[in-house]
Amino acid sequence: MATEAEELIGFLSSPSPQIKKMAVDIVRGLTGSEDGLLSLTRHSDIVLPSLSALLGEKKEISEPAAEALVNLSQNPELSEKMVRVGMVKTAMEFLYNQDSGIRRLLVMLLLNLTQSDAGIASLLQLEDEKVQGLYISKLVRSFCRSSSEAKEYPFEHVGSILVNISKMEAGRKILLDPKRGLLKQILPQFDSTSLLRKKGVSGTIRNCCFEAENQLQNLLLISEFLWPALLLPVAGKKAYRKEDTSKMPLELGNVLSHEREPVDDPDIRVQALEAIYLIALQEAGRRALWSVNGPRIMQVGYEDEEDPKVMEAYEQIGSLLVHEGGAEEPSEQMSK
Amino acid sequence: MALWMEPGSDPTTERERADLDAISAIKDSSTLELKEKGNEYVKMGKKHYSDAIDCYTRAINQKALNDHENSLIYSNRAHVNLLLGNYRRALEDAEEAIKLSSTNVKAFYRAAKASLSLNLLTEATSFCRKGLELSPSNEELKKLAVQVDSRKSEIENREAQVSKAMTTARNLASALEKRDLKLGKTMYQELTGVKKPVLDKNSILHWPVLLLYAEVMSSDFIEDFCETDMFSTHLDMMFSDSDPSLPWDKEGAYTWKSIELYYESGSGIILSKREVLRYLLEGTAGSLVKSIGDDDEKESDLYSNHSLTSGKGSGKWIKVNEKKTLHDILQQPNFIIPGIPVFYVVSNCSPFYKEFKAGKWALP
Repeated sequence: MATEAEELIGFLSSPSPQIKKMAVDIVRGLTGSEDGLLSLTRHSDIVLPSLSALLGEKKEISEPAAEALVNLSQNPELSEKMVRVGMVKTAMEFLYNQDSGIRRLLVMLLLNLTQSDAGIASLLQLEDEKVQGLYISKLVRSFCRSSSEAKEYPFEHVGSILVNISKMEAGRKILLDPKRGLLKQILPQFDSTSLLRKKGVSGTIRNCCFEAENQLQNLLLISEFLWPALLLPVAGKKAYRKEDTSKMPLELGNVLSHEREPVDDPDIRVQALEAIYLIALQEAGRRALWSVNGPRIMQVGYEDEEDPKVMEAYEQIGSLLVHEGGAEEPSEQMSK
Repeated sequence: MALWMEPGSDPTTERERADLDAISAIKDSSTLELKEKGNEYVKMGKKHYSDAIDCYTRAINQKALNDHENSLIYSNRAHVNLLLGNYRRALEDAEEAIKLSSTNVKAFYRAAKASLSLNLLTEATSFCRKGLELSPSNEELKKLAVQVDSRKSEIENREAQVSKAMTTARNLASALEKRDLKLGKTMYQELTGVKKPVLDKNSILHWPVLLLYAEVMSSDFIEDFCETDMFSTHLDMMFSDSDPSLPWDKEGAYTWKSIELYYESGSGIILSKREVLRYLLEGTAGSLVKSIGDDDEKESDLYSNHSLTSGKGSGKWIKVNEKKTLHDILQQPNFIIPGIPVFYVVSNCSPFYKEFKAGKWALP
């Protein structure tokens, strides 16, 4: 005999919109409680496809369905199951449905699904060489479009998805690939006033800098975008003297010749410094840093810094640069 | 005594059999004589080598001797062939000699020597080794083995150099391609020589860069301009206050404050992938390599649509923002790098400036 839960789940596929609506509201409610979650987990084989089938419905039905899925996807076991049954693809398809009213929820669903390696692989489309990275390119484009206007911009959480995928080497490769030019699009988003967005960008760059040893060129060749995102948050808030800014590229010099709002979040500063550290570990990276007058920026930034955690991150880079003999010149000769 | 017999008639009597033996003995001795004669000829010197060969050949054709003796004759003929420089024949003879007698050390030596001359190094090594197994203390064989080895390593070395040059060039070519940089025909080679960009261990490009003072057509050269460097970094060093001004610049017009950098846009035809590789191989061990990977050919038309944008020397002067990095500028779609990057320096304090800006100045 069917249990209550089974019966309820059965109603999700009812031909009557009213019944469907009621059923999905109840299911959403269940996903909010421990007990409800447990009983739904037991029937995940039916619940997951039934809910995802509702994502294309009118907003009054698709919204609670998506909310239920988001809640369910917080459970690692269920999240992996969703990945296995192709939920990433489903979410991407509905996300780019012409009149989807649940984009923000679908992005959050993707965010939860990319907590696991399998989910990341699925979003990167690693299994098919031909389409690899296509989803990511789409998400990045949406992320970068019209950033400021709407407060509740549905793609705001894409930044966090990017942080997730850049934890995986395959993800960093795709982001750094100069032909796709994704990082180049992402970097300027650091200018956004949204903290969520800023954090997404800075986390992503920092993760990408783990490739500095192998792919330094792909980072430094977009230095026009890279250095502002890394150096401006750690530059302090004072206006710089002309003799300092004259040795900087315009994208740094122009901004630093005025007083600025400081970046409040210490995590962002630490991440930026960690990224700079990873770059400065490489000889060509240090040279590039010197060539934009980076050491001076960090010197000034360090003087303003009060958070001990961040100070430590400054000092770590300092130790690398001191070995250059404290000279004003970039390391004279590259080894050939 | 019947010296010849009717066909079909067998020697039957005792007498006849004895006669036949005698004939064959004469034949043997005449074969051996031929061999001796051959040896004589060899001793008589160069002019008689062909006579020697002739004797040996006749001796062989008599088919009168046992394998051991035949082996010696083949090996002797191999020796003369070596002296004559007929290495292929020498090798064949020596091999035949070895076939007839696998203990003929001289035959191994000659086979090895012939193989070496024919550049068949694996064979040469194997002949040496087998010869030395028979006669471990043979000094000549040892010497030859050393010779073969050194030739081998010489060739390996050269191949390694070529392949290293190829790898370097390919890496460079792919670095250019990944950066969407366009290479054109070399200009001013007389000023730049065969200087080429270098990829450092971080895969960052370092360019040799030519600065041309258009007014007087004299030049300055920056040996190592890292693509991540800004122009100002290098100009800072070149035009520092402490440095004396340029010797020809009597008016002192060319100072850090007054100079401007330009490049010529869209000048020249973009090289195909294959031409780029050939250019990068110039002046390296790989410069003589003929086939630069046929697989590259099909991609060469990839570039053809690019070259549409490049007018013929109708160069327009584009000003360089010296706060940009070299990469920023080289990456401009209308920048075709003439072998190595070339920038034109003019001073806005010089009367020449007006002429240049009005586009009245052209490359001489």
